[in-house]
Amino acid sequence: MKLKKYLTLTRAGMIESLQFRLGTVVVVVGNLIYLTVVYFLWRSIYDSAGTDVVNGMTFSDTLIYLVLATALFNFMEMYAVWEIGRKIQSGAIVLDLLKPMDYRRYLFWSYSGSFVMNFFTTFLPTFIIVAVVTKGAVPMGINLLYFVISVVMAIIINYSIDFFVGTICLFTESIWGINIMKQVIVLLLSGATVPIAFFPEPLKTIVMYLPFQSIYNAPLTILLDGSPAPGDLFMILGTQLFWCIVTTVISRLFWKVSLRQITVNGG
Amino acid sequence: MQRKSLRFYLRIYRKILVQDLKSKMSYRADFIISTIGMIFTNIAGFVSFWILFRSFPSINGWTYHEILFLYGFSLVSLTPVQCLFDNNWSLRMYVYSGDFIKYCFRPINLFFYYQSEVFDIKGLGQLAFGLGTIAYSWGKIGLDLTPLMILKMIVFLITASLVMIALQNAAAASCFWIQNSFYLLDLVVRFKDYAKYPVTIFSPVFKFIFTFIMPIAFIAYYPSLVILRPDEVPLLSWLSPLIGCLFFILSYKIWMLGASKYDGTGS
Amino acid sequence: MVSYNLLSNTYSDNNVLCCLCTENIALQILHQDISLPCKQIHTSSHTESEVTMSHIIEIQNVTKEFKVLNRREGLKGSLRDLFSRDYKIVRAVDNVSMDIDQGEIVGYLGPNGAGKSTTIKMMTGVLEPSSGEILVNGAAPYKNRTRNAQEIGVVFGQRSQLWWALPLVESFKILKDIYQIDDKQYSDMMDLYRSLVDIEPLLHKPVRQMSLGQRTLSDILAAFLHDPKIVFLDEPTIGLDVSMKAKIRTLIHALNKEKNTTVILTTHDMGDVDALCRRIVIIDKGKMLYDNDIAHLKGFFGSYRTLKIRTAGQLSETAGMIEKDLPDFTVSSDDEWISILVDEDKKKVIDVLAGLQSSYDIKDMQLEEISTEEVIKKIYEEGVK
Repeated sequence: MKLKKYLTLTRAGMIESLQFRLGTVVVVVGNLIYLTVVYFLWRSIYDSAGTDVVNGMTFSDTLIYLVLATALFNFMEMYAVWEIGRKIQSGAIVLDLLKPMDYRRYLFWSYSGSFVMNFFTTFLPTFIIVAVVTKGAVPMGINLLYFVISVVMAIIINYSIDFFVGTICLFTESIWGINIMKQVIVLLLSGATVPIAFFPEPLKTIVMYLPFQSIYNAPLTILLDGSPAPGDLFMILGTQLFWCIVTTVISRLFWKVSLRQITVNGG
Repeated sequence: MQRKSLRFYLRIYRKILVQDLKSKMSYRADFIISTIGMIFTNIAGFVSFWILFRSFPSINGWTYHEILFLYGFSLVSLTPVQCLFDNNWSLRMYVYSGDFIKYCFRPINLFFYYQSEVFDIKGLGQLAFGLGTIAYSWGKIGLDLTPLMILKMIVFLITASLVMIALQNAAAASCFWIQNSFYLLDLVVRFKDYAKYPVTIFSPVFKFIFTFIMPIAFIAYYPSLVILRPDEVPLLSWLSPLIGCLFFILSYKIWMLGASKYDGTGS
Repeated sequence: MVSYNLLSNTYSDNNVLCCLCTENIALQILHQDISLPCKQIHTSSHTESEVTMSHIIEIQNVTKEFKVLNRREGLKGSLRDLFSRDYKIVRAVDNVSMDIDQGEIVGYLGPNGAGKSTTIKMMTGVLEPSSGEILVNGAAPYKNRTRNAQEIGVVFGQRSQLWWALPLVESFKILKDIYQIDDKQYSDMMDLYRSLVDIEPLLHKPVRQMSLGQRTLSDILAAFLHDPKIVFLDEPTIGLDVSMKAKIRTLIHALNKEKNTTVILTTHDMGDVDALCRRIVIIDKGKMLYDNDIAHLKGFFGSYRTLKIRTAGQLSETAGMIEKDLPDFTVSSDDEWISILVDEDKKKVIDVLAGLQSSYDIKDMQLEEISTEEVIKKIYEEGVK
């Protein structure tokens, strides 16, 4: 692959993120406040419960899970649905389609720069703080490597879903409605708002069969387990890989078919 | 020239609103999708709330139904900001593109003129949800239904809503000074999710912050005390209508200051 | 980010222009010559104070400065920008003075980034001048923006100020309330509009469904609706087709005549200027270059006319020969004509023609007056020569 032209986009994205000096400060400070709030909220929830372990999760487990889920969200969320939707409505999409690069790929690599920046400005500091505050509750071993692999796949799945939903904007003007539905579904069913371990039984089983849990639940489960059984690990990563391929293929196909339809009908 | 009266502004607002609703109804698909999106958001919020309380029957001495009341209260008091001040979200876009200048040439209040342009009808779904939740928990807690109670509810709901409007105004207005103010606006909106928890669960430092600096405790907690704990109402609860108005006026001044600083460099 | 870049781009464009004319002797001459008519107007306005009263807009020695961020290049530069920033002061408008009377149509011209919009923003009360004084209707516009707004109308060629989703007539009704237009005046105005343009098909169409031309037309009508004393038109014909341009010019002209409205028009289209303006003001790099009648402008560069001839044989060859014969004049050729720009102060066209006729076999000839466009182009580019 001609990696260089893609890395150019990464570099441009990094420069662009750096332009917003105050933006960066707000993100970092905002996250710190946010983390503290989450800490107190769950501290008092667990205090009220009277037991140390709820649904198989200790206070530090839950805290790490939720905080890192938020950090992952900040780091992965690219508002691609908005971007695609707005481009489609303004007609500017035509300019991007004319670029000598597949649009789906072009957009992904344009975002990759802010991935890199966000990783350093939001995810890493959060991770370090959580690791320190919970006094070693985050297992530091081979699981970190699996976690990175898992996150990469999560990014791909998330992007594919975003792109799929963004494509729907070719057919309707309601970007807001489409976007909010996607966001709500993904955040709830992926376990980003409440850990999936807390879900009641039938709901839990259903959720495990859907692609969304591969975005947040999968990488965080891997991270929290210091010595995973090879079978479990294989199961989680395998499921992620499966969804990676399926969502990528579907979103590509849907984009192709929709685009053809649009160009035939003249939009 | 004499200052324009409130009636003058109300008449203009009503006219714009009626016309706007008419034209919105004509885009039926968009209207329906947005409404579904809003219902989704509310259901998802409710579901995560319910999942959480399945595992923890009470938080910090607050029962399930009391917290539910707070939740409903926050939904209702967050409705006006959603319905009437949604154009704040577009502010940074108008400012960067230079299009904001088009609002500067009318002989009426700039803030009013800008906000009057958008009425977000989707917020009404949230209102219905919130009122339903309040009514349900009202019955379950066994509160009295007297005219005085209802009057208290109305006064405190309205003034509570001013707090969130103020926060959003100030955050949106930050785009007059800093680039990419989106993060700040996003931060404020994320914090409003914590309005539904009793502020007592936080440490003294955060209790102070949420009371005086980022006063989300006034969105639901302090005003609700008047209804829920009539025997132990702190002074701050009685002051909350005043504080709501104060913050609103302050945020209005900030907004107008930003707008007067605006130089439309985009063109 | 976008706005900063835009600004710095336009200013760097200016810098390029500057570089091109480092030895801008020609421009100096230009300044000396042009500043004369400007000054005459000012001195007259200062000495006769009763005349000053009748000016609807008075601008005196107005300067506006902006702080602009110098961005460094590349990834390293961006990282450095994160920690230390380097600002420079840019003077967008530099000591500009002019007076405008009620009912005038003034063409306000200049290349991109010359300071036109900044001046207009100051006149409309959106910006406060860094120094100098502006009076619109006898008051400083930025001190009471809303009061000033009641007396002015503004149109931006590409940014509609109407309610996007509403039919035009509903926008009008809201404007009627906002500007507190009484029923009589409103219906008179609508009658006037009906007599000027075919407004009926537009009235019930939402603005978002209109073509650019219809939208501009609607915006102009909306700007005149409350019968303002001054209307600012910023590139009203940009992006429009020829017939729509003509329609809009006719409309502006008619409204100006009918209501005696002062019109300040910025444009890059000299067709607008020729059709509407008697007076033009030219600004570049924030400085005023010219303020006088358009007729005076043409005479100002000497009496230039273009003589076009067609001769037997290869035109470009002949053109080369003619150029040697007439070293004082610019000679160029295309497939059809040889063009000679004749300065009649030096030699009459008729004499040039007679001279040429004796040495060349002239088949056909044309005589063209220099167009406003060419004159303006000359002013913008003078240094480059």
